[in-house]
Amino acid sequence: MIFRKGRVLRATFGCNPNSSSLGVDVTFLLFGAIFASALALMLGALLRRPRTP
Amino acid sequence: MKLEVVRARAERFGGIVEVARPRALLHVDREMMRELGQPHSPLWDSAAPDDAPLVAPTEVHVVLSRRCAAGCTGCYVDATPDGAALSLDEARRILDELAAMGVFHVALGGGEALELDYLFEVAAHARAVGITPNLTTSGLGLGVREAERCRVFGQINVSVDGVGDAYRRVRGFDGFRHAERALRLLRAVKPEVGVNCVVSRSSFDGLAEVARLVRRMRLNELELLRFKPVGRGARLGEELTPDQGRRIYPLARRLMLRHRIRVKLDCSFAPMVFWHRPSARAAAFWGVQGCVAGDVLAAVAPEGHLTGCSFAGPPEADARVPGAARAAWSEGFASFRSFVRSAPEPCASCEYLRLCRGGCRAVAEAHGAFSAPDPGCPRVQEWTARTAGRGQVAGGGSFALPVVRG
Repeated sequence: MIFRKGRVLRATFGCNPNSSSLGVDVTFLLFGAIFASALALMLGALLRRPRTP
Repeated sequence: MKLEVVRARAERFGGIVEVARPRALLHVDREMMRELGQPHSPLWDSAAPDDAPLVAPTEVHVVLSRRCAAGCTGCYVDATPDGAALSLDEARRILDELAAMGVFHVALGGGEALELDYLFEVAAHARAVGITPNLTTSGLGLGVREAERCRVFGQINVSVDGVGDAYRRVRGFDGFRHAERALRLLRAVKPEVGVNCVVSRSSFDGLAEVARLVRRMRLNELELLRFKPVGRGARLGEELTPDQGRRIYPLARRLMLRHRIRVKLDCSFAPMVFWHRPSARAAAFWGVQGCVAGDVLAAVAPEGHLTGCSFAGPPEADARVPGAARAAWSEGFASFRSFVRSAPEPCASCEYLRLCRGGCRAVAEAHGAFSAPDPGCPRVQEWTARTAGRGQVAGGGSFALPVVRG
């Protein structure tokens, strides 16, 4: 059996104080799909990481 | 470093987890939810349809009142000094309901929410039921004491549509000094303070000044919000010109790089962004979307109406009635949710349709048809010009936006 690790599919940072600003974070959109994929892996690893005592 | 999960909610695709540092909402697949020790959800027993809405909004815009003394010429909610407001009890009950649905954030606004003497009680109640309260304010009436109490909020943005006299020209009252003072007081007590700037035909050329202000005051974000012809704004003729529509995304990137600030564009700007053909995969990962009403977002009006967004859409329920919001969410919001499935041209053939969702429904409605493509979209403008046999509109000037209903 192949063990498949879970994935992070989407990330939105910060909080939105507005009626309609769940839109485009220009800061992140500057970085392309490769950066997004790498970050998804990193976020997944940090989510799984055991809590340090 | 470990990302600590503060809250999690099951979704058909897996779930949404909230982490506190850095503050983020992460969509994860079913396997990741299991790895994180989340209980099995019946939602995972069948395949997830591609176009299924979320089981609840992640964020709800709660318009606490239509009460504001400023009298801005373009106020979206027609606020007046004695406008309608939700009572404290009603606001608490609505927050209880939203918490039970699994909502993560509320955006509190008005009117001027700071004019309500129970605003901080509403915010404290949101915290108590596990929702992060965020606030938009003009800063009018904010003193040292109020600023200190604003620690309860997550993000606070102060509306600044121009610097100095440009503020008065755009908003119709001289409030820049108040806004600047509010930013200074708020920034002294918390780092999550930013600026909201409505981008209109008149304010467009002053955006660089606003970005400089954000940098100078060490604020954490500049949110550029597209002017929408609703409320008192419907009669102003302040929508962006086609040329400005094409320039807004490159301009936002330039401001970000030049001033080293975080710049966000609201969801109604999505067509102007996708016209520049960014990576669709990256956009999907960063949650860059067009109209998110009835999916990620809902709104509650001071009269209790639950709508897809605070600018448009029919009332789906009375949010003050227990259980009404939850029932409406599972069955309602068809006018927003059906757009992608039944999109007309030129949206139907657009490769970004699933992300862009046809742009802003509020703007489309203001121009006559809720389910029409956003008339501010450059692709729509080009298509309209072609089909009308009027030639290309590249470069801007000749395309005329349809007349907004009075």
